[in-house]
Amino acid sequence: MPRLRLLPPAALLAVAAGYPAAADPPKKADLPPATVAKVDFDTDVRPVLAAHCFKCHGPDKQKGGLRLDTRADALEGGNGGKVIVVGKSADSRLVHAVAGTDPDAKMPPDGAAALTAAQVGVLRAWIDQGAKWGDQAGPAAGVGAKSSHWAFQPITRPAVPAPGGHPVDAFVLARLKKDGLTPSPVADRATLLRRVSLDLTGLPPTPAELDAFLKDTSADAYEKAVDRLLASPHYGERWGRHWLDSARYADSDGYEKDTGRPFAWRYRDWVIKALNADLPFDRFTVEQLAGDLLPGATAEQKIATGFHRNTLTNKEGGVDQEEFRIAAVVDRVGTTGKVWLGLTVGCAQCHDHKYDPVSQREFYQLFAFFNSDREADIDAPLPGDDERLKKEQAAFAAERAKLEAAVAEAKEKQLPAAELKKREQALAALPKRAPAASKAMTLALGPTRPTHVLLRGDFLRKGVEVKPGTLGVLPKPAGPPATRLDLANWLVSADNPLTARVTVNWVWAKFFGRGLVATPEDFGTQGEKPSHPELLDYLASEFVQPTWRAGSLRALHRLIVTSATYRQSSAVRPETLRRDPSNVLLARQARPRLEAEIVRDNALAASGLLNPTVGGPSIRPPQPPGISELTYANAARWVETTGPDRYKRGLYIWFQRTSPYPMLMTFDTPDSNVCVVRRERSNTPLQALTLLNDAVFVESAQALAKRVLTEKPDGTAADRAGYLLKLCLCREPAAAEVARLVALQGDLAKLAAADPKGAAALLGKHAPAGVPVAEAAAWVATARAVLNLDEFVTRE
Amino acid sequence: MHPLPEHAARTRRDFLATSANGVGLLALASLLKDDGRLTAADAPSPLAVKPPHFAPKAKNCICIYLEGAPSQLDLFDPKPKLNELHGQKLPESFTKNVRFAFLQKETAVVLGSPRKWTRHGQCGMELSEFLPHLGSVADDICLVRSMHTEAFNHHPGQLLMNTGSTMFGRPSMGSWLAYGLGSESKDLPGYVVLNAGRGTSGGTSNWGSGFLPSTYAGVLFRNQGEPVLNLGNPAGLSDAMQAKTIEAVRDLNGVRHAAVGDPEIDSRAAAYELAFRMQSAAPELIDLSKETRKTLDAYGLDRPEPDVKAARGGGKGQFRAFAANCLLARRLVERGVRFVSLFHASWDHHSNLEVELPHNARMADQPVAALIKDLKQRGLLDSTLVLWLSEFGRTPLGENRGGSTNVTGRDHHPSCFSVWAAGGGIKGGQVVGETDEIGWNVTKDPVHVNDLQATILHLFGLDHLKLTYKFQGRDFRLTDVGGKVVKKLLA
Repeated sequence: MPRLRLLPPAALLAVAAGYPAAADPPKKADLPPATVAKVDFDTDVRPVLAAHCFKCHGPDKQKGGLRLDTRADALEGGNGGKVIVVGKSADSRLVHAVAGTDPDAKMPPDGAAALTAAQVGVLRAWIDQGAKWGDQAGPAAGVGAKSSHWAFQPITRPAVPAPGGHPVDAFVLARLKKDGLTPSPVADRATLLRRVSLDLTGLPPTPAELDAFLKDTSADAYEKAVDRLLASPHYGERWGRHWLDSARYADSDGYEKDTGRPFAWRYRDWVIKALNADLPFDRFTVEQLAGDLLPGATAEQKIATGFHRNTLTNKEGGVDQEEFRIAAVVDRVGTTGKVWLGLTVGCAQCHDHKYDPVSQREFYQLFAFFNSDREADIDAPLPGDDERLKKEQAAFAAERAKLEAAVAEAKEKQLPAAELKKREQALAALPKRAPAASKAMTLALGPTRPTHVLLRGDFLRKGVEVKPGTLGVLPKPAGPPATRLDLANWLVSADNPLTARVTVNWVWAKFFGRGLVATPEDFGTQGEKPSHPELLDYLASEFVQPTWRAGSLRALHRLIVTSATYRQSSAVRPETLRRDPSNVLLARQARPRLEAEIVRDNALAASGLLNPTVGGPSIRPPQPPGISELTYANAARWVETTGPDRYKRGLYIWFQRTSPYPMLMTFDTPDSNVCVVRRERSNTPLQALTLLNDAVFVESAQALAKRVLTEKPDGTAADRAGYLLKLCLCREPAAAEVARLVALQGDLAKLAAADPKGAAALLGKHAPAGVPVAEAAAWVATARAVLNLDEFVTRE
Repeated sequence: MHPLPEHAARTRRDFLATSANGVGLLALASLLKDDGRLTAADAPSPLAVKPPHFAPKAKNCICIYLEGAPSQLDLFDPKPKLNELHGQKLPESFTKNVRFAFLQKETAVVLGSPRKWTRHGQCGMELSEFLPHLGSVADDICLVRSMHTEAFNHHPGQLLMNTGSTMFGRPSMGSWLAYGLGSESKDLPGYVVLNAGRGTSGGTSNWGSGFLPSTYAGVLFRNQGEPVLNLGNPAGLSDAMQAKTIEAVRDLNGVRHAAVGDPEIDSRAAAYELAFRMQSAAPELIDLSKETRKTLDAYGLDRPEPDVKAARGGGKGQFRAFAANCLLARRLVERGVRFVSLFHASWDHHSNLEVELPHNARMADQPVAALIKDLKQRGLLDSTLVLWLSEFGRTPLGENRGGSTNVTGRDHHPSCFSVWAAGGGIKGGQVVGETDEIGWNVTKDPVHVNDLQATILHLFGLDHLKLTYKFQGRDFRLTDVGGKVVKKLLA
């Protein structure tokens, strides 16, 4: 071949933008010579290391996983492997680094004084002479990271401040008093019932429930309502959806191909059931992280491991499968760290954590817990599956017999070749439709894989091998941990202060719109400090108390919602708005906008369309045209669900990662590519357009109007407007509100009367019997207005 | 009908007088006392116009994104050596440390680029025969031949180019600008996305707001039917009924505001006002009937579309869709929209390059050149930055997937690729950067994706190191941990 004028290889490598393999060994030629005399560690070597190296590679920090103040650690090397080859200083990376002959690692780094040639010579001689340690053997190896950061300290149960009473209130009042603020009065009863119903079940109270509650004058009427709601099967749906954000649950693979996951919902239903059963939080944790490793694991416990099957899968052509397997494991580590520890451990994937005591090596020790897993799709029969299978198999056998007969006939009667081919193809295509058992996506143990630190997070650059291990800054597990089960047990062990703090804070944020730690995803040094540290620790210690229904989320919820703090009015008072604009001190309740799914649920509930069935395969309600066409080669065709399933709750909507259901995205449902423990809450014109014009909300308005007209057949316009407001806002409306709505209905009726065809169209499928079309249509448009009120989409 | 302030005040008094919420009366009384303070709808909108860090050159941006990686070797970066080496293997030193998506490096051979190259404009910029129209605006364009990236799969590559990082969850460029500068458009969102062709593999993450509030996310307009989802009234509901509805919603929200005093209610009211205005502004925006025939022809809306089998490019109808998007982009900028993203998928020519690349190029060439001329003629080019971007380039080696000897395309190549920019403070009529003889590596003026992003922010008067958002305890920025302004690009 003709000679190419090529760049020198080094230049090529430097501009190759990103993918060098393990660095080539540096050249030996330029090293200063080794000192000729015999050197002594304590007098000659240690001073050099202490002056130039220990600050970053000593007892306080071990950058790059390297520690040089103990012999064992120094000889073991750093994340990139050994740095000292005993007897061969010219082959030792330590020497090249300090001599400046290793282009990848010049030490000490920028700005610090370099070693002199004589000092390098001393180190060379020391290594050549056997790298012996002196009398001062150095501290014992393996001392864990220390931190004085509040979140890592053990939880001690704080005393409830005087004058006592409900502990939550005692802590909150003490803090308010300190700042000279007063709490708000209790919210009115109707608001309170709607608030607690939405928070515990995600559904508004029915008019009957509201009336019963308003009539119940007993002292514990509220507590009774709370207990009713906590026992509702919708409780698991509401809190399950919160948890699914953490689990980055979706019904498709993500990435380019974004293939559907028809059985992902089995995990979603496991979550709902577990919460409805009030599975204690430690078991809730262990089953999701390691249900498959429990002795005699049941199918349900295996399904629980679907938690970590919600990672993305890249089936894009030409991808390196190992790269994306590692990406999934990295995500499992990061998600586990965020959900249970409230730490951004993912930051340590490429380098030691910049702020928190999590080293890169520790990241890969956590990684090792998950590194030998394989993704297992198991048979997971549903109730009634046997019968279904038997029926389907019989039908399948009959079908096959029919097709076989058809082929035989074609051959026998020598039908045209095209006809024979057609029949043969039909037969050949049959196995694709063979009846199959229901499946579930789980995590299972595969063949053991060694785990290496990946230098700069690059899966092609393997550093030292590591074993599974927990974070040094937190209390150690009883024995050396080896499996996911060990990790899970460690996370929920009584000594681990983070899991309890993080969990109660996550729960708190759902009830108050803001956590006691405002950054539920980050309890590290860069996160916010707790606004009420004693309250946080009190709740955390309650949560793990062995005597107090350990780890019961339901008991925790009950404790919080029965407090006066929770029951306060959410009205904004001028003096608190001025002095505490973010309401950190809780001088009132918050007014968060409802989550996307709950907005849908409320429209369906108010209109009476809601199908309250719990669980089951994901559904595809109507969505605007042109959405699924955005997916890869239109792969995710959106075939609308028909029948009652179409009206199931928002958490059952099929979540296609590359073209998510627009209404959910418009109202800030996370995109489910990564774990989210705190949702955004935006307020946009697209939300307005969705509530005004989206097919689901228009149909809700139609059904809502029909409901009002049917249930108030002889009512005046004011009666009907009042009932409409009550159905949607779950309170008795003020006269001014009713009057304004009546005026609107009157205006709309005039317009509708002028356009009979339009009026009929506006009624859709829900035309009420015996009401003039224009009047009914005006009520549809009036109902639509109420579904668009700020209050309707707000938890007051 | 009901002028709001008077009406709200009246309703409020009515409300207070007749409230059934007995418990709330005390609080309401105190509200009344503080009248004026709480009813003032003066909460600053998150999209209010904010000043930049220093005097900007660009006010708007049209970002044309060719998803899939167009071959720079066949469009922008002439390499006659490739024809000389066609069919030959490269020395191992080239391929040793490089990863490929599909290419089998043991047997891969160079794929020539039998293009005719022409010098255009006073600057003499060399472009291939596939881009004749673009040549006519060469003096406005700054072509960068020395881009490089570290991502070589599509989705991560797109994330890096659009959000500054290969990781999920980061805000896109348009979101950063909306966050940093606000929106000057009253009737339309500040960040609009137009799509043509097949779906992009990155999907919404390419124009998402990441950890920024979703107010800053790109709003996906469509170029057929409704430009915004749910923009049309429900069947049978007239505009007059809609106006009555919006009025009533505003009044009733006003009553609620009087009761609870939450400024967030004002934001919702503002959102309803914009939504209502968008309902009329957006159809006006996509109504091209007022554009002259000359303009429509310049963009090539009604060009004949060659009958070419090019499924990658999204099938039939792309010529018109792409041209219409370019014209819409100009109309959006005229109406004050800060950032317009225009995606087309796909240019991922692993095979059939000789047919599909010229087809795609023909689709894009005329409308894009027309856009630049149109902006210039209207005096908008100086303040409008036009970008032509993709996630990476393509290999000088032919792609021999699975050892195939039928080589008709090129594989992914992150080490060097070409993008261009025009207008908005860009120094046109120049080529920045060089690559080696076979287009394998950058040899002069390398520009990393984050460098380009730093430069883009600079043109908008923003320092990429200062435009930050605190999330998870860290100050994040568009340029992640890299980026330096490329001075050579600036006028």
